[in-house]
Amino acid sequence: MERGDQPDSSRSRTEIVAELALAVGVVAIGALVLWQTNEIRVAPTYSRIGPRVVPTIVGAGLILLGLWLAADVLTGHLTGPSEESEDADPTLPTDWRTVGLLAASLVVYLLLIERAGFVIASALLFTGAAFAMGSRHPIRDALLGLAVAVVLYIGFTEGLDLRLPAGWLEGIS
Amino acid sequence: MGALGDLARGFEVALTPENLLWAFVGVLLGTVVGVLPGIGPALTVALLLPVTFSLDPVSAFIMFAGIYYGGMYGGSTTSILLNTPGESASIITAIEGNRMARKGRGAAALATAAIGSFVAGTIATIGLTFLSPVMVDVALEFGPAEYFALIVLAFSTISAVLGRSVVRGLISLFLGLAIGLVGIDTLTGQSRFTFGIPQLLNGIDVVTVAVGLFAVGETFWVASRLRHDRDQVVPVRGSIWMTREEWRRSWKAWLRGTALGFPIGALPAGGAEIPTFLSYTIEKQLSQHPEEFGNGAIEGVAGPEAANNASAAGVLVPLLTLGLPTSATAAIMLAAFQRYGLQPGPLLFERNSELVWGLIASLYIGNVMLLVLNLPLVGLWVRLLAIPRPYLYAGILVLAGLGTYSLNRSTVDLVVLYIIGAVGFLMRRFDIPVAPAVVGVVLGPMAEDHFRRALQISRGDYSVFVTRPISLAILIVAALAIVVPVLIRRSRGRGDSR
Repeated sequence: MERGDQPDSSRSRTEIVAELALAVGVVAIGALVLWQTNEIRVAPTYSRIGPRVVPTIVGAGLILLGLWLAADVLTGHLTGPSEESEDADPTLPTDWRTVGLLAASLVVYLLLIERAGFVIASALLFTGAAFAMGSRHPIRDALLGLAVAVVLYIGFTEGLDLRLPAGWLEGIS
Repeated sequence: MGALGDLARGFEVALTPENLLWAFVGVLLGTVVGVLPGIGPALTVALLLPVTFSLDPVSAFIMFAGIYYGGMYGGSTTSILLNTPGESASIITAIEGNRMARKGRGAAALATAAIGSFVAGTIATIGLTFLSPVMVDVALEFGPAEYFALIVLAFSTISAVLGRSVVRGLISLFLGLAIGLVGIDTLTGQSRFTFGIPQLLNGIDVVTVAVGLFAVGETFWVASRLRHDRDQVVPVRGSIWMTREEWRRSWKAWLRGTALGFPIGALPAGGAEIPTFLSYTIEKQLSQHPEEFGNGAIEGVAGPEAANNASAAGVLVPLLTLGLPTSATAAIMLAAFQRYGLQPGPLLFERNSELVWGLIASLYIGNVMLLVLNLPLVGLWVRLLAIPRPYLYAGILVLAGLGTYSLNRSTVDLVVLYIIGAVGFLMRRFDIPVAPAVVGVVLGPMAEDHFRRALQISRGDYSVFVTRPISLAILIVAALAIVVPVLIRRSRGRGDSR
């Protein structure tokens, strides 16, 4: 649980900027909550403890917490990036290529699940995600993904009576 | 004798062949998914929730109990062999257990964890059996003001007491509260924060939030900083039968861990982290071999594992009797109850006593099944740890998509899942704990409900929360839970740079 070495000064400056951006983001979410609170319609009889009271508290709370975080960062209370996990190395810079490939796979899944069906969408998601995470055997991955998807599909639709979109494979099963 | 009679009827329900089968399937699935690295008990329960959708409520919850306990067992196996705690309560197990495994005593570590979990789980389930009816009587006296105060207490302990930073825990909690606001206001029927999207009128499901934060967020975090020099799985060596010396050093630690874990878990402020850390400290103080701590002391596995499992049963006391989830896992279980139109709380024991006691009885049965399943089959679980990482995370994403889509068969849920996943990635990046957000999503609407009801009864007089003695006392404790850690850290911060 102990943090490792102190980051050097240039790194910690980037970290301060990043943390301040986070604080601004939290304040912005709080502001969004307050703004949307004003959109809630309130019947006159409910004016005292109506549907706006708690959202106002939550929105104001987020703004205060964002300011608290900013104050913490500016007075030198940095915690730095997240703790180590076995598969992630927090000292590395963000690898946007991997993140982008993964995000693209998820978008394809979203677009295909109701058109092409659960099996095809899941098999493609599996293949794309495995490729993004460093696997270099696309054909093997695709076959494995297809097998996983078919097992899940049959298990859920036949075994558990849960409906999943069949899509282009409609009628085959 | 009321509790024993109820329990006997519970066993009648749980021991039917069909329900035994569901308990077994639950235990098996829970262990298999819980063993997978990076999947803690909360995510195990969230991902496996769809499996129970088509069952009748009694069977579903019997299976659920198996998944819950199985996920806990599976998680400890992963911690010992791979040093990846799936959740903060297993950090200690990961430290000592992994050292033991590296010294070639992995089998003994797994055995003391499994038997300790069995002993603790069984004793704590007995505690649950007899404490629950008492708590139900207490809970019947509570009004909305007291309930609100209890929820505030749960909020403050979950977000402030643990973790490195109080403000980060609170940010997580408030993000969860904001997500919980989405949907139709239960008291006035007004839609809130739906941005004109009809699918959001029913609110955002906690399963979507948990899967987004734990599975999608975590996968993106790992993807963004993929490690190439990974730790290897430590092969299991040694006999799974503990030596006489190991038994002698383990059994007291199990009992002490149970004695810490159950009561703390059963408090409405619960959680498993505090008792496991306390248990570790105490075992270190009492041990005749304090020098072994940090190098693989068996007491350091036995005590915290027992504490962890005992508190897992303890957490069910406020969940079942008050309807208060005090951990991310319990929050998801509460959501499962609500899907069946059941509201945990004192009335659940009256109206659905078959279900409640069937669930409690199946906890005993699940514990026995897990012991039988885990000791001989440990070699099989070890193989799951060796799944290549690309397949592991690809599989997690496929399950995440399936679990979320099948909630309402709506792609809107998938979009929400991705957005929450992106938030989870950022939270992971900035070391913001995610458990408070999950609890906030579920408890936020309940807190608002009780808050406004209390104010309706008092006709808008806010002093109702501080003039009722129980409510006032709970709120004071809740405030202390926030203020004290801040002050401790401030004074520590003066001493050194941290």
